[in-house]
Amino acid sequence: MNPSFQIHKNDWFAFLHKSSEEYNVYLPVRFNNHIEYEILQDEPENIALNIARPVTPLKTFLLPVKENVVINTSIHNKNIIIGVPSCDLHALDLLDKIYLDQKFIDDSYRINRENTILIGTDCLEIHENCHCISYNINPFPEINHDLSLVAVNGEIIISVNSGKGKKLFDELKSSFPVKEAEKMQIDKIQEKRKEIIIQLKKNNKSLPDYQKTGDLIQKSEDEIWERYARTCVSCGACTTICPTCTCFLLIDRPDFEKVRQVDACQFPGFEKIAAGEDPLKRKYVRFRNRYLCKYVWRPGQFSSIACTGCGRCIDSCIGNISKNEIFIEMAGDDG
Amino acid sequence: MSETKNNIYKPIKAKVDKVIQESPAIKSFVLIPEHEFSFKTGEFIELTLNGYGEAPFTPSSSPLEKKKIEVTVMKAGYVTDKIHALRPGNIVGIRGPFGRGYPLEKFYGKEVVILGGGCGFAPIRSLLYNLMAEKDNFKKVTLCYGAKTPEDCIYKPFVDELRKVDKFEIYRSVDKADETWEEKEGVVTVLLDDIKVDIPNSVAVVCGPPVMMKFGTFKLLEMGYPEEDIYLSMEKNMSCGLGKCGHCMLGKYFVCKDGPVFTYAEIKNEPGIWL
Ligand SMILES: Cc1cc2nc3c(=O)[nH]c(=O)nc-3n(C[C@H](O)[C@H](O)[C@H](O)COP(=O)(O)OP(=O)(O)OC[C@H]3O[C@@H](n4cnc5c(N)ncnc54)[C@H](O)[C@@H]3O)c2cc1C
Ligand code: SF4
Ligand code: FES
Repeated sequence: MNPSFQIHKNDWFAFLHKSSEEYNVYLPVRFNNHIEYEILQDEPENIALNIARPVTPLKTFLLPVKENVVINTSIHNKNIIIGVPSCDLHALDLLDKIYLDQKFIDDSYRINRENTILIGTDCLEIHENCHCISYNINPFPEINHDLSLVAVNGEIIISVNSGKGKKLFDELKSSFPVKEAEKMQIDKIQEKRKEIIIQLKKNNKSLPDYQKTGDLIQKSEDEIWERYARTCVSCGACTTICPTCTCFLLIDRPDFEKVRQVDACQFPGFEKIAAGEDPLKRKYVRFRNRYLCKYVWRPGQFSSIACTGCGRCIDSCIGNISKNEIFIEMAGDDG
Repeated sequence: MSETKNNIYKPIKAKVDKVIQESPAIKSFVLIPEHEFSFKTGEFIELTLNGYGEAPFTPSSSPLEKKKIEVTVMKAGYVTDKIHALRPGNIVGIRGPFGRGYPLEKFYGKEVVILGGGCGFAPIRSLLYNLMAEKDNFKKVTLCYGAKTPEDCIYKPFVDELRKVDKFEIYRSVDKADETWEEKEGVVTVLLDDIKVDIPNSVAVVCGPPVMMKFGTFKLLEMGYPEEDIYLSMEKNMSCGLGKCGHCMLGKYFVCKDGPVFTYAEIKNEPGIWL
């Protein structure tokens, strides 16, 4: 852990209220059984810090579903996003490599990225489908965040992880009492982290690791894909909710404008070429395409993983398909 | 913010200068971009029809020409239909150039055998202009071109010119000949039986519809070409041209960024290379 500081919860929220004059401040809030980012207004209720995980993946803040990328009419708000889980922070590796590729920088993504302060959080309560640990990601902020925070015993424990984070932290320090974090609190967090890791490992003990999954997919027979794809309706829920799926289509508008709109390989016709030929014509081939992309192709291209183990695609599948079941079956006894 | 000169999604404008009917289904368009535009042979552009759509094309003109650019377009669907309706004076948009074209330096000192079919002649013509301009760097150039019928053969005046150039040998075939046709009849690969080529000192370039690419490649392998000396120009669905949108994936490759030109050795194990 970076050097940590401690501030009372009430002071922290007072600071956020003050910051919301300049920024859109997003907080994780619990609705029924799920957690969602809410913009900070009035007295926030049901705030769910340290709990895995917002339904909406972080990418949505950086790559809107639909956006005019030629005249760029979007309002690029300044955002503070609180409670980003480690898996979503890891997903930024791939997104940055794609959208900030030095040769072709996507301006809109760049501006959104620059305008956003990311405050990562520990997952001290995990979701049943969380499996970050199987892919070497820890359930606490490791990379790609500006600040990280954990709420324990009515106190907020904060550490600073970037220049942008330091700037905000300095503002905090100048108007509210901030002290060095007590050892007791840090120990408590460290202890909790260990417990959560054990729990994640236990929940996922049959799941093969990343590399092994890629190898298994490449060696797999069509039969298993045909079988699992039977209930797939090509709705694209899995790609929409995935923190690393960002495929899109450019749509032309008058005045040579273009709209970048979310698209997905799960939709029929995604790879159709003139004369109607389509390598992804068959449903199970489309279904498998997503896994080949995540576990074989993207890692090959970008040296970044493309599944961070957030489990959202499992929650959201209306065909009740669990990718992890597929991989556990493939791994068989030596999984 | 951000109507910048460098916006990667924003096309530059180009005026249609001339429209040439090449065959019943194929037209060429000479475009004058609003400012100089250069590309390397085999790289491609995205052509925007204002408000309608965008499609990728490999320029068929000489890469040495910077003021004009020519594309040859087969009528194949929505966007290409609209392109065929363009008239001189119309304004289109272009983005690019994108991708990795033909690695000419690797061809130096060798014989170049080119196998082209249908509209696949477009990128090949640009390559041929380049090879002509640098004739001394190559031993010999053999073009094998095939089309469905004699009237589907494109670039007739260009082919007549090419026949007069030393070191260049031209062979043509049509699937179905008529009484006017004096060259070969049959699928384009049959032309490979007639050519004289020193395979160990040669490279092969293939461009055409997917089936033709497939059988062309197999035939070249059978003749003894090593996999890494067969250059294929791959066609995939494309949108961005920038390695971002994901439409053009060929296994781990983005055809728009890593291709469209690949050696067979590079892609042979990727799924769906012939679709
Ligand atoms: C690198 C490259 C170079 C090419 N060079 C040439 C050339 O020089 N001459 C030529 O005639 N053709 C060329 N093509 C093929 C040409 O791009 C397609 O024929 C054209 O895109 C078909 O568009 P359409 O809207 O008329 O077809 P439709 O079948 O109506 O397409 C409908 C939609 O499907 C998608 N689509 C279908 N086919 C393609 C495709 N091949 N690429 C991208 N999107 C597609 C598009 O989103 C399009 O809006 C090239 C293709 C590639 C990838
Ligand atoms: S997958 Fe891991 S990092 Fe992501 S929400 Fe679950 S526990 Fe947290
Ligand atoms: S065309 Fe968009 S990634 Fe290749």
